[in-house]
Amino acid sequence: MIELSNISKIYELGGEKIFALDHVELKIDKGEFIAIIGPSGSGKSTLANIIGGLDVPDEGSVVIDEMSLCHANDSLLSAYRNKKIGFIFQSFNLQPNYTALENVMIPLIFAKITASERKKRAMECLKVVGLEDRMHHKPTQLSGGQRQRVCIARALANNPEIIIADEPTGNLDSKKGAEVVDILKTLNQKLGVTLIVITHDISVAKQARRMITIKDGKIV
Amino acid sequence: MRSFDYIILAFRNLARQKTRTLLTIMAITIGSLSVILMISLLTGIRQSLVDMFESMDAFALVTVTSDPNSANDNNSLITSGNGSSESDGKKLNDDALQTLKKLPNVADATPIGGRINIETMKLEGQDKKLWASIISYDPETKVFQMPLEAGRKLTTNDMDSIVVGGRLVKTYGYGSHPADMIGKKIVLRMKMGGGTGPDWGPLPEKPPIDGDGKDWYEQHRNDNTEITATIVGVAQNSAMDDSQNYINIAWANKLMTQVRWEWDDSAQKACNDESKNGSRTDCRNITTSQKLVKDDSNAKSYGSIILKANSTKNLPGIADAISRLGYGVSTAQDMLDQINEIFTGIGIVLGAIGGISLFVAAIGIINTMVMATFERIREIGVMRACGATRASIRRLFTFEAAQLGFWGGIFGLGLSYLIGKVGTQIADRYATDIPIPIDKIAQFPWWLVGGVIAFTTLIGLLSGLGPAIKAARMNPVDALRYE
Repeated sequence: MIELSNISKIYELGGEKIFALDHVELKIDKGEFIAIIGPSGSGKSTLANIIGGLDVPDEGSVVIDEMSLCHANDSLLSAYRNKKIGFIFQSFNLQPNYTALENVMIPLIFAKITASERKKRAMECLKVVGLEDRMHHKPTQLSGGQRQRVCIARALANNPEIIIADEPTGNLDSKKGAEVVDILKTLNQKLGVTLIVITHDISVAKQARRMITIKDGKIV
Repeated sequence: MRSFDYIILAFRNLARQKTRTLLTIMAITIGSLSVILMISLLTGIRQSLVDMFESMDAFALVTVTSDPNSANDNNSLITSGNGSSESDGKKLNDDALQTLKKLPNVADATPIGGRINIETMKLEGQDKKLWASIISYDPETKVFQMPLEAGRKLTTNDMDSIVVGGRLVKTYGYGSHPADMIGKKIVLRMKMGGGTGPDWGPLPEKPPIDGDGKDWYEQHRNDNTEITATIVGVAQNSAMDDSQNYINIAWANKLMTQVRWEWDDSAQKACNDESKNGSRTDCRNITTSQKLVKDDSNAKSYGSIILKANSTKNLPGIADAISRLGYGVSTAQDMLDQINEIFTGIGIVLGAIGGISLFVAAIGIINTMVMATFERIREIGVMRACGATRASIRRLFTFEAAQLGFWGGIFGLGLSYLIGKVGTQIADRYATDIPIPIDKIAQFPWWLVGGVIAFTTLIGLLSGLGPAIKAARMNPVDALRYE
């Protein structure tokens, strides 16, 4: 379902070429739970961004459900991110002036869904992560774990096929982190969402069905 | 993303930085306020001038003056001329009136009396005096309409009757009930004395028969003659020049005719002639008497003649024919063209001044939007990750800037409307004798309201375009990583 072949991402730093990703080959099946681990700067985030359609590789091809991302224009890539991908970030990236409900509604706005539909769907998503009683709270009124759950609900909003979580537990203590990972696992198992988790935390990575390690832009 | 969502999102984003947003809007408000006030002032003054002409059916009228060179210097349609007897041009008298009436396409004509020697006028029993502004015309003709607030129009037989203008009515506090003015008396004060007076009312005082009367003339030189006129009508306050009052030209001619006492030396002359023949030798005992002399030289010629064309499209032809006869001629179209020309010129200058303040406000919007994009780089990244296209981001920020302009325009309009209202109130109370109807000046025609909002919104939109494009071009990965 996700096919990366011969992917390279090259940065130029002081006239020197640096390979963030160096001819990477990777296949991920539908419904898989895969953990990507590796040291800082190894290229694991770049890999996730390319899968998520936020970034395009300089070389190689990305084919997702028989659709090539390498030659897609901005509106196609945006629609892809909107419909197929849900992002979860280490630092949550919630809108501070919006309530939890409104934050979850953001992807639905870009999906051109009517306001009443949006609200209905966002409430469902918050229910999935167990925050139905916190819908009208702003991020500052929520704990770290709750914030990350809002983030998961936002990622779920458009019923994505793939959820990409970049260090989802990085800002949480181990108990809250485990809760978040539990929710993600449930989504993977019950909804069949393909789950890609990037993490430093080996205990999180171990829960995945498959674990790959990246070092200096290469899968080892 | 739907357009309505852009508007809501943009509004919420603006509401996040209330102080900054309000300050930016305030700058636009001041800019649009200055433009609105200048434009509405100009259009208001212009409109009241045009209204004045229209209320008098002026667009079919041709004013004929005696001096062919003065044609375009006249800014008043109805002019009392310059007494005209000393003028270099052709005389405007009854013959001229008949000639002009016979010109093709002329429907009717009325003479307008020359300047009457009246200095001040006042309502009988009141102390407050007004400078006299009296125009005489022939009530029989239908050349110009005179819409009335109360009372009746003048008739040919009216002698000591007057139709008063809105200014006089307001001055004496009858503005709200002009009908009560009908039947009241106006005292006209003419500067005539020392043995002379108008051909109306009692005869002037006779100078003493003894001596040469030099002292007596010296003493009575500044005497005044007071003449009373009954108010029969109140002119509608639609004309710009509501200070004008109207009388019948027949009466005006009487007022303009001077009656004075002169020495009758015919008996003396006769005696002298006889003594030359030798039949009489002593003429010293002949008693000289005084006789009344009428001088109607002022009354014989008119200040101007106003013609009414049977159709406005014949105006140029009539004007040409009159010019060829050697008269001065002006039509309302000339004045309208002139008015438009002048007002366009003033409008450009004032508009440019207002434009500068709007330009400064536009810089304020750019500044605000540049700051907003910097503050929200991560937010832009999140929106892109959630499926926002570059176009969506660009549109969102442009909508925000456009809303700054939009609200600035709205507040500018609201504020200038208030200023106009207050200004009108003050003007009504304190400035009754300024010859400009201030209540007509603070006008907000729909094109001004729509134009201002559209213009300030456009300014906002254009100012926000640069920062918005920059925000849209941002790489989402970098934006998400931005600290």
